[in-house]
Amino acid sequence: MSPRLPDLLMGLTISLTAPAPPEAGGDYAAGRVGLVAMLLVLASQEAERGPAARIWENAAIAEVLGDVTPPPESSWSALDARNAELRRALIALHISAEERGDEGLQRRILALYEAMAHARRLELPGGG
Amino acid sequence: MSLATGLAAYLTRVRGKPTTVENLARISGGASRETYRFDAVSGSERLGLILRRDPRGSLIDTDRRVEFLAIASFEDKDVAAPRALWLEEAGAELDRPFFIMSRVDGGEAAGPFTPDAYGAHAEAIGQRFFSIMGQIAREPVAGLPLAAAAAHPAPADCWRRELDHWTGVIDADETHPQPIVRAAIRRLRRDPPPPPARVSVVHGDLRSGNFLHDGAGRILAVLDWEMAHLGDPLEDLAWAMDPLWSRPGDPRVSGMVTPGEALDIWRAASGLEIDPEALAWWRLFASVKGQAIWTSAAKAWSDGGMTEPVLAFSGWFTARAQDQILSRRLAELGPL
Repeated sequence: MSPRLPDLLMGLTISLTAPAPPEAGGDYAAGRVGLVAMLLVLASQEAERGPAARIWENAAIAEVLGDVTPPPESSWSALDARNAELRRALIALHISAEERGDEGLQRRILALYEAMAHARRLELPGGG
Repeated sequence: MSLATGLAAYLTRVRGKPTTVENLARISGGASRETYRFDAVSGSERLGLILRRDPRGSLIDTDRRVEFLAIASFEDKDVAAPRALWLEEAGAELDRPFFIMSRVDGGEAAGPFTPDAYGAHAEAIGQRFFSIMGQIAREPVAGLPLAAAAAHPAPADCWRRELDHWTGVIDADETHPQPIVRAAIRRLRRDPPPPPARVSVVHGDLRSGNFLHDGAGRILAVLDWEMAHLGDPLEDLAWAMDPLWSRPGDPRVSGMVTPGEALDIWRAASGLEIDPEALAWWRLFASVKGQAIWTSAAKAWSDGGMTEPVLAFSGWFTARAQDQILSRRLAELGPL
């Protein structure tokens, strides 16, 4: 979940433009640039899938919770703020289901966790 | 004062002879410390050394004294530990705490996410890797330098100590609710593992990517001892077996050997039996510990001015991958 994409892009810009001491050149600097390039590839995935993943996850959790609050505007920050509220409520619901021994609800929540993690996946180029 | 100048001044003082520093270069790896390679030159004598200095922001908040003593505990054992040379907890001429150890040349560390990182030598590397892990577990704790600095948990308390620690890290560093890892923590607390037969040294981060190999099947140096502690030896085994260190579709542990082979090698080297129930607990724990580390990485990246891309990678890509592993495991285990 963290870092958020807008922050990440800002951070990568800082990484590339911040002055480095002489001992941090050579292979180390090349490795850093390679890592930044890798993160930009992942950032492109997040830009493509991130909003839809958040909108889907928020709706899926709200459904499990029976929450009928209208979805917020679709900015990253509004989606993430709503997601934090819903995730907190989901944790509480899961604890309650465990304490009550409600196996059906637990299975539903565990399946939701898998789907949430899958929706937010990032894939390294080359399958690494 | 530049780093090279400070280092030369320090070495001149502690070695009692004029020492210059050449070929100083930062190297990748060891995200919890700044790591540099350099040569210390005194007349015709040239020493290849590694400096590990505390950063201003760190992936893992660890005690460099513990790391130094862990290396010192195994430098004369057959586990490919470097030699621990100097420790300065107050920073001395370098402003921040650091230690210096011997450098092992001629090796490479595989990237933990590199597909088939060991090629045709994977089996030989795996044999040696899990043997080293077993030998660390086999080593009696009493009398080791690490024993003077590390907490000594009772066997029955090993799991709780570690779970409390890493849960505390998540509590402190989490910036967004994480229902998946929280569910795993509750499961671990509700169903603790049987205690180990004895308490051992746990390296804490023994996995693919944290050792140097020669490209021909030999392990030259085991690195990154900063999370070393005393505990249940299955913790190291479970950590190395986490699916995070294996590429999708590769059934081998850390791209080396099959899980069954890994357990057999470890069992033979450690002289210890493996309780399947205990190993299952520590394997789920390994993913919780991983998520705690990645959670810290995200916070360290943010707090440190967003300048270290390795922290962003850990706190983002690796955290997402760990959530996938955790959620699959939780679904397999089913309701509490």
